[in-house]
Amino acid sequence: MKGVSNDAGRKVVGFLREWGMILLILVITAVATMIRPVFLSGRNILNILRSYSTIGIASIGMAYTIIGGGMDLSIGSTISLSAVVTMLIINATSNVAERVCSPYAAVLVLFVGIAIGAAVGLVNGAIIAVVNGRMGESFIITFAMQIVVGAMAQAVVKGQFQAAAYKSGLFKEFGVGVVPVIFFLVVAAIMQLILTRTQFGRNLYFLGANMKAAKMAGIRVGQVRTISHVLCGMCAGLAGVLVVSRVNSASVLQGQGYELDAMACVAIGGVSLAGGDGSILKTILGVLVLGFLLTALNILSVQSNAQLIVRGVVIIAAVILDTVNKKAKLREVRK
Amino acid sequence: MEDYILQMKDITKTFPGVTALDSVSLDVRRGEVHALVGENGAGKSTLMKVLNGVHQADSGEIWLNGEKTTIRNTVDARSKGIGLIFHECNLINTLSVAENIYINRLKNHRGRVDWRAVNSDAQSLLDSFGFNFRATDKVEALSAAQKQLVEITKVLSYGVKLVVMDEPTSSLTTGEAEKLFGIIRELKAKGVTFIYISHKLDEIFRLADRVTVLRDGKVIETRPVGEFTTNEIIERMVGRSVDTEYPRKHCEIGEVVLKAENITREGVIRNISFELHRGEILGFAGLVGSGRTELAEAIFGAEPCTSGTIEVKGKRVSIRSTSEGKANSIGLLTEDRKETGLVLMYDLIRNITVTNLPRIRKGRLLSRKREMELADQYIRDMDVKTPSNRQLAMNLSGGNQQKVVFAKWLFSDVDILILDEPTRGIDVGAKHEIYLLMNKLAEEGKAIIMISSELPEVLGMSDHVIVLSGGEKMGELSREEATPEAVMAMAVAN
Repeated sequence: MKGVSNDAGRKVVGFLREWGMILLILVITAVATMIRPVFLSGRNILNILRSYSTIGIASIGMAYTIIGGGMDLSIGSTISLSAVVTMLIINATSNVAERVCSPYAAVLVLFVGIAIGAAVGLVNGAIIAVVNGRMGESFIITFAMQIVVGAMAQAVVKGQFQAAAYKSGLFKEFGVGVVPVIFFLVVAAIMQLILTRTQFGRNLYFLGANMKAAKMAGIRVGQVRTISHVLCGMCAGLAGVLVVSRVNSASVLQGQGYELDAMACVAIGGVSLAGGDGSILKTILGVLVLGFLLTALNILSVQSNAQLIVRGVVIIAAVILDTVNKKAKLREVRK
Repeated sequence: MEDYILQMKDITKTFPGVTALDSVSLDVRRGEVHALVGENGAGKSTLMKVLNGVHQADSGEIWLNGEKTTIRNTVDARSKGIGLIFHECNLINTLSVAENIYINRLKNHRGRVDWRAVNSDAQSLLDSFGFNFRATDKVEALSAAQKQLVEITKVLSYGVKLVVMDEPTSSLTTGEAEKLFGIIRELKAKGVTFIYISHKLDEIFRLADRVTVLRDGKVIETRPVGEFTTNEIIERMVGRSVDTEYPRKHCEIGEVVLKAENITREGVIRNISFELHRGEILGFAGLVGSGRTELAEAIFGAEPCTSGTIEVKGKRVSIRSTSEGKANSIGLLTEDRKETGLVLMYDLIRNITVTNLPRIRKGRLLSRKREMELADQYIRDMDVKTPSNRQLAMNLSGGNQQKVVFAKWLFSDVDILILDEPTRGIDVGAKHEIYLLMNKLAEEGKAIIMISSELPEVLGMSDHVIVLSGGEKMGELSREEATPEAVMAMAVAN
């Protein structure tokens, strides 16, 4: 804090830590709007929210595993599996002549998709719990699961791209207008409640902050770890269902890259990758930043390669910021 | 004119909200052992961090060998002949002793590490001190005490002339500490100067030439050690006179609440049986590595026993995990409060309520309001000194942290408390408070197991003492039988 007095410097750092993400969203919006006024239109904003709602839901699940001191790389494949199964069910139950899908099937696929996610999460969590793992073990185990689940998705549709056999119906509504955004917000609200107001949520924070201390406080660390992965899987499963409805097709590559985007959102939002810190609100802010940023780049017709670079830089910057923040926090500690 | 190797003049260091050092001056003569004592938070560590360049003083001067100097960082300090040994272990467990000693200056031969030279250099250093482990041993295979010796070897291998030791014996057994003192005296004879920080005053009387007492960031007094009595030093440390006796009040001992039979953990502890009564303080004595902590962990369920039975209040129970230990009314205050006792980055409230979240539930959800009220009450009862209950645990002094750990387990309302080194690394005044707290808990009908490496403490506070050695129970002594000689005879018997 060169030049600035210590006190003022700390206030600035504290302010940025609290509101930096919102500030960033405003800056992105302002810059993009100045160049292309259409960016600020209600329609464009809704478009952003809609297309990032599935990543948002997946990110919230990812936030659970990261707060618990782990991670889940398998969500991309989980989304793909959920997506292709959803498409098969919906297509099989649609009225071919009128091209309308069955409302019962729409409800059914929500349950099936979430159940698929829960099952993958259960396997992830149980294995990690058995090996008493943290970040490193989560990385390898869920990475392996990504391959396995991806292969399962391949097998289900024999690698075939699945186009929608319907044109209207309840399922179609899942991906239209504000509906995906509502899904996102409802999931966020429920997950926030679980995280902050239940024993499981509290225990998850302790697990992420200090696994040994959590164990020595009598917390069932294996159980908490497993539940966190099940919830993460459920989010991915739901995201898989919703993404099908939005794009009207499903392929085994549907969820590709989701795990990285989700991790990026979580990191950008300021959820500590070291575990034990963070919230759903921060995750949502991270999703918005990534969504606004990438859309702005699109609107400004930045090349896709350059976009990828920006994406990478932003993630790295988020991690650096997290470390800097932690150091700043430590500096405030009086000794 | 005295020959001073180090003079620190009017050092002042402030951190946000607190003056850690207030115009502190310290003169260290060449070739002396200069003891630095004071309660936790008195400023000893901060002063040493300034000396080592970890912190920069706000004002004041540092003179080395009669010349004014500035110390920018630890590397700079080392190049100017100052070496620091922190009480936390800074070794890399998976590497060998030799690698740790020469970690950032491995000799190379045409770009490849010359392992033979590295190992033989390290070995000859170890031999010169008479240490009983090899340069090629992996550090993780060494005891806590041996690790400390590796740290010392590492610092001395830089050829430093002034060594700062911060609580070097806190994890050493009596025999090992003795050996360390021998080494310090030997090095002193060779002209090495020591600044020695310790809470153990008997060590200071045996080792130091002069003592400087710090309190609240100020130097209270510096004198040759012979001109002080123990009580005089303590009075200066705490600013009041302190009862150094152990305040154990024996209360009525009730029925058996915990009965352990033939507790065995393969390769660690063997066939240990004992009974613990309501209102009793049962001491576990023994050397470091005798199996005391391992026994505690087996009973609490952290590392379940492979055979043996545990009865709680007359009922046979199975304890395979810490949550089952807790469910059976057993709480373990671990020996390392910073690593396993507390989550330092969380506030006091969260740290206290974690052991019993159902207590702060309203309906199905946790109630933050109820949590704050209950935690407040425990923080007050324990007399934790903190500006706010939202303070992070890392900001408290050792003694206050320990009180929070007590609060945490009292919050869970367990009847059996296992205290593993409850007074380690905390200052005299806080120790006394912990003893009084133990009395109070015993009076209220809790049953307490106390593990401690400080023999006088175990003997002073316990109703019964069980002596362990090599993972076996060597005997059980009543308060009357438990003399230091009797306990030590058993502790070294295996």
